[in-house]
Amino acid sequence: MKSLRRFLNRLFNSAARRAQEERLREEIAEHLALQTEENLRAGLSAVEARRQAMLKFGGVEAMKQDYRAERGLLFIENLLGDLRNAVRSISRMPGLAAVIILSLAIGIGVNTTILSWIQLILLEPLPGVPGASNFLLVEPHTDTGGYPGASWLEYRALQTQLLALRDVVASEMVPFNVGEKGQTERTHGQLVSGNYFSALGLKPAIGRFIRPEEAERPGTEPVIVISYDYWQARFRGAPGVVGQKLPVNERELIVIGVAPKEFQGTMLPLKFELWVPATMAPALLGGTRDLEDRSIRAFSLIGMLRSDATREEAQTEFSTAMAQLARDYPEANAGVGGEIISFWKAPRGPQRMLIGGLAVLQGVMLLLLFAVCGNTANLMLARGSTRQHEMAVRVALGAGRWRIVSLVLSENMLLALLGAGLGVAMAVWGTTALRVAPLIGAFPIQFQTKVDGLTLAFAILLGVACGLIFSAAPAVHLARLDPQDALRGSSNTPPRSRARKVLMGVEVGLAMVVLIAAALFLQSFRSARQIDPRFKPEGVLLASYDLSGRNPDEKSEREFAARLLARLRSLPDVEAAAIATNVPLDLHGIPARPFTVQGRVRTEPGQDRAITNTVTPGYFKVMGIPLLEGNDFAGIEDKAAPAQAIVNEEFVRRYLNGAEAVGRRIQTRAGSFAIIGVARKAVYNAFDEPAQPAVYFSYRDLPAMQGEIHLRTSSNEAALTSEARAALRDVDPMLPLYDVRTFSQHIERNLYLRRIPARMFVVLGPLLLGLAAIGIYAVVSYAVARRTKEIGLRLAFGATSRRVVLQIIRENLSVIIWGTAIGWVLALVICVRAITKGVVDVLVFIGVPAILLSVATLACWIPARRASRIDPMAALRRE
Amino acid sequence: MKQKTDVLQGTLALMVLKTLDVLGPLHGYGIARRIEQISGDLLAVNQGTLYPVLLRLELEGAIASEWGASENNRRARFYRLTREGRKQLQVERKDWEQTAAIIGRFFEVKTEDLS
Repeated sequence: MKSLRRFLNRLFNSAARRAQEERLREEIAEHLALQTEENLRAGLSAVEARRQAMLKFGGVEAMKQDYRAERGLLFIENLLGDLRNAVRSISRMPGLAAVIILSLAIGIGVNTTILSWIQLILLEPLPGVPGASNFLLVEPHTDTGGYPGASWLEYRALQTQLLALRDVVASEMVPFNVGEKGQTERTHGQLVSGNYFSALGLKPAIGRFIRPEEAERPGTEPVIVISYDYWQARFRGAPGVVGQKLPVNERELIVIGVAPKEFQGTMLPLKFELWVPATMAPALLGGTRDLEDRSIRAFSLIGMLRSDATREEAQTEFSTAMAQLARDYPEANAGVGGEIISFWKAPRGPQRMLIGGLAVLQGVMLLLLFAVCGNTANLMLARGSTRQHEMAVRVALGAGRWRIVSLVLSENMLLALLGAGLGVAMAVWGTTALRVAPLIGAFPIQFQTKVDGLTLAFAILLGVACGLIFSAAPAVHLARLDPQDALRGSSNTPPRSRARKVLMGVEVGLAMVVLIAAALFLQSFRSARQIDPRFKPEGVLLASYDLSGRNPDEKSEREFAARLLARLRSLPDVEAAAIATNVPLDLHGIPARPFTVQGRVRTEPGQDRAITNTVTPGYFKVMGIPLLEGNDFAGIEDKAAPAQAIVNEEFVRRYLNGAEAVGRRIQTRAGSFAIIGVARKAVYNAFDEPAQPAVYFSYRDLPAMQGEIHLRTSSNEAALTSEARAALRDVDPMLPLYDVRTFSQHIERNLYLRRIPARMFVVLGPLLLGLAAIGIYAVVSYAVARRTKEIGLRLAFGATSRRVVLQIIRENLSVIIWGTAIGWVLALVICVRAITKGVVDVLVFIGVPAILLSVATLACWIPARRASRIDPMAALRRE
Repeated sequence: MKQKTDVLQGTLALMVLKTLDVLGPLHGYGIARRIEQISGDLLAVNQGTLYPVLLRLELEGAIASEWGASENNRRARFYRLTREGRKQLQVERKDWEQTAAIIGRFFEVKTEDLS
């Protein structure tokens, strides 16, 4: 009660501060007057009476401080006072403050951006779905290590048996051709189980979702849910869309609802626009047997763990269920187990690769931020030293150590938080930039990164941590100040520059590590472009078609390809044309398949694998890959020739020890093939990959529903686009040609994910170098300023200015070299151990330290030279 | 160092309360004089320390203050004990006597008493 009353009174007093000050002043005056009168009566002189009275009263300021402490909420008042003071003192150093705030903002902004990516993959793998991190992948897993997906019947069995999971949902990704004849558009959708939307806990933007009974019996419910973006783009957000008919794969489906705004399906980072009941599969996909055939594993399953179940329980149930299925249906399920997997470890998609890269990136960027902190600490320390006098006055007037520390702290905190604020703004910009980045490939991709509560908290935490880190040194330094020494105002105090020098060394070392990382990254990115892909991408146009909506048989696929190729080859500008199932340097990679080849016995366990691509005759001509031995494939409609394969030279070297390959037989799951030729090796998945063994199959033997058209022209390849479209329309008016791009565009697009961090480093590298230079410059010029007298003395005694300069540079450079060396070794160890696995980029490891050291030398030289120019007489007289 | 001031502050508050209890409303100087007279040199050095204590007591509601005229007809702040202050004085007096008694007994205890 008492303390509450006191608190309330205090609060009131804080408000009525001025009146209170006045009252105290008056009371003190009265007290002193009375005491003085008393002393006068005791016979003292007027002056002495007054002096004695004041002595007796004691320190007025200290008492006032106590009084204020008693009266108001000292903490809040001090804080406000400190804040005012901080604002004032920051506005007195706009240049320095700008450097600090900006560098912190960049450091924090970059870190926050990266965290938002990590967060997207780890915590919010399903944008728009509440509590998405609780969902797990339910993946059948073969003995051979593959994740083939689940069949519909398998899903129905699992749905009732996995009790640890609330609602298992199934989805299959399907490209649809949407629209009227002659103007169809390829749009990606998912065939989904009836519980899909309810299990995800979604609410429709308008209309309703698919009901469970609508995905029970095959082909009865022609309903479709569209994405919010699709609704906006195609129907301009009109509410009347519900009930409208949408032609999909030549069937009319009724739009029943629109998904919520951010929802993009359940296969990050793919972005889907349409959702159709799985039971519509046979009707939409030309009578596919997806729903009856246990060997067609087209569905992906996910499920949310029940709150009272553990992951282990779910795994056990899954394994048991799969074992039972393997006993019941051996022909489809033998050797297929099951695995419960987190989203970020998804066997398909780029998550796994991304999360590793992002973790490294985040580490490097935290180091960068740390270096920025070191730099800021140094700048503040140098600045703090010029404020020794001010602080000494404060101490002499009775400010406690903690007041000094809190003064420095509040100033730095304000800087740090301003930096964090700006950093958040940069992160918002960065994440939005990534979000809108058009990634229209064969599959539409969208990363919905954003700055939310967590990332915001992270940014503020970083800001506070930075503030604390770079406050520590100056605060300790100033609080330890002896006011007497400082007030004497001379530079007689021994220069306490150890802390500064250590900081400088640390900062340079950290800068070294980050700069080397940046350089390695850029180097690998640049060399990626310079490496000869060993095929000729210039002059090649790529375009895709997909017959999956027709559920075609092999014969019609073959015929379609033959007709299309004949039509394309008749175009005047086309030098050569071919169709292949895969394009090198694709974001999604080219599959490697197991095989056995005549004349090779594998001794180690496992299977031989090679990259496989299925191509039509003429492919090697279009790609500019020479055949070293043998001939091209037989024509598509040649019915006589046996099944054929062409291998590359790496295949011959690795699996046949360079022996004659032509004439041998190669066996895969698809059948047996005769090797008829050897092609030169090329780049398949990445520019800097080691040589890969590859096998090409003939489209004639293994026709496919999807095809990548390759056209070579001597003129401008991009100009071929409309002719290619027209050609396909001639062959089949209902089929859209999609993903038309030149080969160069294809390559650029697939370097996209590497380009983001590369660009980041292009900006951050020089920035860090600049910061390091500013830091060194500040330290050296401060140290030099303190030694003006000494330098003057030495010059007076006949030292040449050259000598003085050299000595100053030597002193500082030795610290810098130490820092650099330690950073260099650290970077080397990390690089050899973790990143390049033994390969060292000599250019980077020599070039970066050379640049850093020359910049550092320059940063030392400028203030040193200025110092050596002083007039010795002036310097000596100054004291 | 700090502890000693704490003790001093606590006892000072008690002295202020008792002074006001005995002498009725007084201004700061009067209180200081009175405590000085009784306690000898305890407050001789820093009379100023009295004012934070007065303020605290006032905030706690143990004393109240208003402007009045001093002996030489100048404006002065007069402090008086409130009902609550009187209660507090009684309580603290009892506490103090108890504490003093306990401490006193400890000092009287001799080694032979414990054996």
